[in-house]
Amino acid sequence: MIEVVGLRKSFGNVCALNDITFQVNKGQIVGFLGANGAGKTTTMDILCGCIGADAGSAKIAGFEISSQPIEAKKRMGYLPDEPPLHKEMKVEEYLAYVGRLHGLSGKDLRQRVDDIMDRLELSDMRSRLIGNLSKGYKQRVGLAQALVHDPEVLILDEPTEGLDPNQILQIRQLIRSLKGQHTILFSSHILSEVESICDELVIIDKGRIVESGSHRDLVARLESGRQYQLRVRQGAHALVERLRVYSSLSDVNLEQEAEQLITFRTKDQEQDLDRVAREVLDGGYGLQELALRSKKLEDVFFQLTR
Amino acid sequence: MQAVMTIALRDFKAYFASLKGAVTLFFLLILMGLFFQSFANSYLQYQEQALQYGGEGPKLSQLLTALFQNMHFIFLFIIPAVTMSSFAEDKKTQVNRLLQTAPVSTSHVVLGKFAAAAGILGLALLASAVFPLYLFKYGNPDPGQILSSYAGVFLLMCSQIAIGLWISSLVSHQFLAFLFTAFALFLLLILAWIAPNITSTGMVEEFVKYLAVTTHLDNFFNGLITVTDLVYFLVFISLFLFFTNVSVDAQRWR
Repeated sequence: MIEVVGLRKSFGNVCALNDITFQVNKGQIVGFLGANGAGKTTTMDILCGCIGADAGSAKIAGFEISSQPIEAKKRMGYLPDEPPLHKEMKVEEYLAYVGRLHGLSGKDLRQRVDDIMDRLELSDMRSRLIGNLSKGYKQRVGLAQALVHDPEVLILDEPTEGLDPNQILQIRQLIRSLKGQHTILFSSHILSEVESICDELVIIDKGRIVESGSHRDLVARLESGRQYQLRVRQGAHALVERLRVYSSLSDVNLEQEAEQLITFRTKDQEQDLDRVAREVLDGGYGLQELALRSKKLEDVFFQLTR
Repeated sequence: MQAVMTIALRDFKAYFASLKGAVTLFFLLILMGLFFQSFANSYLQYQEQALQYGGEGPKLSQLLTALFQNMHFIFLFIIPAVTMSSFAEDKKTQVNRLLQTAPVSTSHVVLGKFAAAAGILGLALLASAVFPLYLFKYGNPDPGQILSSYAGVFLLMCSQIAIGLWISSLVSHQFLAFLFTAFALFLLLILAWIAPNITSTGMVEEFVKYLAVTTHLDNFFNGLITVTDLVYFLVFISLFLFFTNVSVDAQRWR
């Protein structure tokens, strides 16, 4: 449904995208992950026809965006990181306008607008001026304008940016409910969000795709070793030296002297955790805490984007 | 075509959603009124003088011409006020993404915004009709002249809007759009007047004069609608709308 091949884009001397290639199949939700400034928004802008690429192709439902823009845009809904809302219009008026731009009219238009406002719980705000809405509601109106014409493909750029935890949950639930009927590409830098909603991930860093696949695959493929934290009562300094002897532990560091906090990485958690615990107990350092520091996906992300 | 109407209607309504619309019409009518009052006074004075000392009195058609020439001058400020926000505002707030990702072509967008601006200013023109109509109180002005003058002013206005749209699409600050448009329209106004100063030989001077808007308006103000003048305005408008189209498209590929 979404096919991007060899995209390149430079802004002056700065190379924003360098040979971006990925695809999203019908009915999938794919997460587009990357640090700020990695090129997520640029890729999405090119995909939606806001900017032109220097090279490469971007297709929506088989239609190339640069040569058949109207056909591609008919089948697409885009929520940019700044929702393109007309602040002086009322919510219902604005959604009707967007619907009309996409070719809806008459009863069909009214029905769709009512439906989408219902779905996104905007019906109470239908006569409110968009400029007077809170951020959460504005984001929902932004999502509504992407959905009003029921597009096959949805492209969402950080849809939960700036929302409070309740609203974030609602939006995530909504996105999950759209799965199957719509093909969704959504970008985020919140790893947990991407983990919980997406089938597959595409990770972009400094303009290049560094990895793609399901997060289970990614973790298995990279086996970077997970990071643990160890807190003892005293003597952390000495303990660090002792632990560094073990070859299967890596990155052993005294994180905070005052807290007596040590961090280390290991691939072989079966053996190593026991070893570390035994070291602490035998040496009388006083075991306070031994826990997993980071989640799997974060490890992948850090390793790939450092 | 529906896309053009949709965009035009939305922009039209938006202009009046804030105070902008009311204030623009307000200033237009106030300025016209001030000048009309002074023209009418002069007219009456000359009429009195003619009665007292003999000689030809002022004609109503002259008053009308003066009125419409004056509209040209007032438009120097009113047109930029309307066109400055056509593209510039949307670019700054990134709302232009809405039209960029909708299944509408750039031509639709340009034509839609043009129609909106022409609609707003057409409304202003309609409101200004009160002044020529008032002349019916003083005598029998030629209704044909009034209508053809309005046709000329309307075409002039559309040409000015086309320039304003082009400039608005090039800059991203409304204020800059206003300044540049006002300046460009001013240059256009005085083009025929300064032609001898900016050109060398007689031929080139004639050519530049022919390019000037004022040259083509004279016929309209005298009650004459010619094909030459109509074509001039249509080409002028099309040219600048084309430039606007190119400018908006080009920005996607920057």
